[in-house]
Amino acid sequence: MMSAIRPAGLSPASLCLLALAGLLLSGCGFNAIPTKDEATKAAWSQVLNQYQRRADLVPNLVSTVKGFADQERRVLNEVVEARAKVAQMRLPENILTDEEAFKRFQQQQAALSSALSRLMVVVERYPELKSNQNFLALQSQLEGTENRISVARRDYIRAVQDYNTELRTFPGVVWASLWYKDAKLKQNFSVDESAVGKPPEVKFN
Amino acid sequence: MRFWIVVVLLCLAPAVRAAPEFPALTGRVVDGAGVLSEATRQELTARLAGHEAKTGHQVAVVTLPTLQGYTIEEFGYQLGRHWGIGSSEKNNGVLLIVAPKERKLRIEVGYGLEGQLTDALTKTIIEQRIVPHFRSGDFNAGVRDGVSAILAVLGDVSEGEAGPRRDRADEGPPGWAWGPGIIFFLWAVFMYAGMLRYRRREGQQPWERDSRHGRFGGGFRGGRGGGFRGGGFSGGGGGFGGGGASGGW
Repeated sequence: MMSAIRPAGLSPASLCLLALAGLLLSGCGFNAIPTKDEATKAAWSQVLNQYQRRADLVPNLVSTVKGFADQERRVLNEVVEARAKVAQMRLPENILTDEEAFKRFQQQQAALSSALSRLMVVVERYPELKSNQNFLALQSQLEGTENRISVARRDYIRAVQDYNTELRTFPGVVWASLWYKDAKLKQNFSVDESAVGKPPEVKFN
Repeated sequence: MRFWIVVVLLCLAPAVRAAPEFPALTGRVVDGAGVLSEATRQELTARLAGHEAKTGHQVAVVTLPTLQGYTIEEFGYQLGRHWGIGSSEKNNGVLLIVAPKERKLRIEVGYGLEGQLTDALTKTIIEQRIVPHFRSGDFNAGVRDGVSAILAVLGDVSEGEAGPRRDRADEGPPGWAWGPGIIFFLWAVFMYAGMLRYRRREGQQPWERDSRHGRFGGGFRGGRGGGFRGGGFSGGGGGFGGGGASGGW
């Protein structure tokens, strides 16, 4: 019965050799690059997931604020526009290794972050809005989502750090040059997002 | 020579990255700040143990002497992952964190319970059930009320959707259950063998240690969700992604 599942032309001895080679290879870091590559991808999709969650919250938030503070057109429009840009953004397949695309992604998300934080400053002037149950729920969801985004970003930063270090240090550097020739260093979030977008300006006039 | 020093330094680099110092998980209630009475600790421990027995969710309460300069959000999810509250398959852990020195508190919700204990609900619990007590200086009442509210939200759902799933399994002919069972058994054996090797090789990487993918060991050890080992309370490797809400008083 066992012979039925054995690939044609392979003797038991060569099968044993193959198994041994597999063990040896994975023991000396042969698998480390693909493993860490997958980890960065997983961390990245979590980042996208949380940014998406935030973008999904925006329309509801905007319409709720509009009901109470329609005169804040400028700030509201900024949020709507920033959200539209984020939604229209085309992410190239190789965004993780493409510095330009990665930067653009980061900038547009940061623009939405700062527009949203400006909006949250403005709403402080509307006590009625601030005691609205619907708004309070949306506000806590937004806070929670921002927090999830920063957790996802931190996880991604770690994963990429780990992956890039593997590519540039022994023994990963050997495997990369011998076998994983297409493995490239991945882009990381360079600075905290709040430093990229302008901090909200509070004007008293 | 210099080359090798660089290599050694690069190997060590991930290990020396700064991380908060976490208190030891000594029980379901870890009163590091010393603000809870003995009676409250015992009562809460009993209730939280009962809740886990009934629903499988792990809820823990922790008071911290200091946040060590981190925000409570940064501290919270890392503490949750470090302790591995909740099971590794269901990620059904919740932490109620109180930092009296910084006057901050947070309800940190594991991935698996984010749908039930939503951000909005946790915010409401914090603002309406806990903060009023904290404002008047009564930590015992605040924590007790907060835990009651959390358990009330979680309490109605017992052990996931076990009911419907069992019904579906009953529909098929009895023999059908064996095929997937055997495949799963083989898969589990291979996975476990692989993991033993994996852990030996990568166990020391901080990234692996902290990530929710890296906590395979906890899941196997604790079976369904940690539970009691040698009389102590331990996490089951649950993951946290920053769900929940924070507040201050």
